Amino acid sequence: MKVKVRQERCKECGICVANCPKKAISFSEEISVTGYRPVVVNDELCIGCGICYTMCPDWVFEILGDRG
Amino acid sequence: MEDMIKGNHVFAEAALRAGARFYAGYPITPSTEIMEYLSTRMDEVGGVYIQAESEQASMNILTGASASGVRCFTASSSVGMTLKQEAISHMADSDLPFLAINVVRYGNGLGNLQTGQSDYYRDTRGGGSGDYRNFVLSPYSLQESVELIAHAFDLGDKYGMGAILHTEASLGQMMEPCSFPEMKTVERRPGAIDGTHSQERISPLFRDRFAEALEMKERYKRAIENEQMWKDEYLEDADYVLVAYGLAGRSVMGAVEKLRAEGHKVGFIRPITLWPFPEKAFAKVNPAVKGYISMEENAAGQMVDDIALTLKKTEQRDKPVYCFTYASSIPTLKRIKSDFIKVTNGEVKEVY
Repeated sequence: MKVKVRQERCKECGICVANCPKKAISFSEEISVTGYRPVVVNDELCIGCGICYTMCPDWVFEILGDRG
Repeated sequence: MEDMIKGNHVFAEAALRAGARFYAGYPITPSTEIMEYLSTRMDEVGGVYIQAESEQASMNILTGASASGVRCFTASSSVGMTLKQEAISHMADSDLPFLAINVVRYGNGLGNLQTGQSDYYRDTRGGGSGDYRNFVLSPYSLQESVELIAHAFDLGDKYGMGAILHTEASLGQMMEPCSFPEMKTVERRPGAIDGTHSQERISPLFRDRFAEALEMKERYKRAIENEQMWKDEYLEDADYVLVAYGLAGRSVMGAVEKLRAEGHKVGFIRPITLWPFPEKAFAKVNPAVKGYISMEENAAGQMVDDIALTLKKTEQRDKPVYCFTYASSIPTLKRIKSDFIKVTNGEVKEVY
């Protein structure tokens, strides 16, 4: 796993989905505890570039790098 | 050998010599030459220069620069500084240091383009929402501004606070001989944009704002105790003490020499840090002093309040405090002398 996602913080705004250069982020089919369809990261497509981390207004992402 | 150099160019070069490598700003008279100079000079030292779309944007850009750990600065004048206050408040909330050079132009709103000290309150009290403070330093000469700019960056890093060089249109626009120290290389502070949420004060998560407020209070107390700067002379036997900063302070220093030569027992305090206000200077004053006189380049009188508040803490709390204001002009030696005589003749009433 390259990116840790705190789904409970996601409000489904889609900024990360729009900005991911690898189109690795999509909305989950599951409803989160806060009532949204939170984002999920496709680990095979993800390159861990950190753009989602930079763009997200709600601190959903953490880039794990070597810790993944 | 010292070169004749323009004030605004001095401020810019002094910041680079102190290791600053990031500037963002928006031009405004009378501070524009700072960024005009940096538009070519910053590239020569390998730094980043951004002309933003507004003052507000420039300060938000500086927030990111400071969060990335680089020594960064901006410059503006009075009304332009007003537009930066929201971001300055945010930076205070995240303990992010910066230097803002305020080349004050006199007046409310757009004001005029002339010199003044009308932003004393705004700059010393924080300026945006919240109850934060910035270091505020005011030079009386261009050479002193070189030293204060380097010191302001060091203070900012040491305390995790912003610093403002509160200077005047006249100092920014005038030329005088000035020398610079060698170029300093500064290690970048650990950056916050590291893929994690390692710096708690830069994210809204996991924060204990009450504990932070108490820590901030202690930090400000430390700054007040340790970082006061001023210049004084002839306080021990003074009948009257003149208090003025910046170029008004420079005039007052000259006027005091003249008055002394004429037999008047007069001393001066020239605050260099406006925040923290140099309260300790007042402890040196003759216990039998007859009064204090604040001389300011504004209309309403602002620093006079800080003098009165300072005296309130001392045995001299009942001494009268007078105030002369010169609006958008630097008081001349002649004018200071004649105003001083008005006090000794009982022609003016004290403010406190």
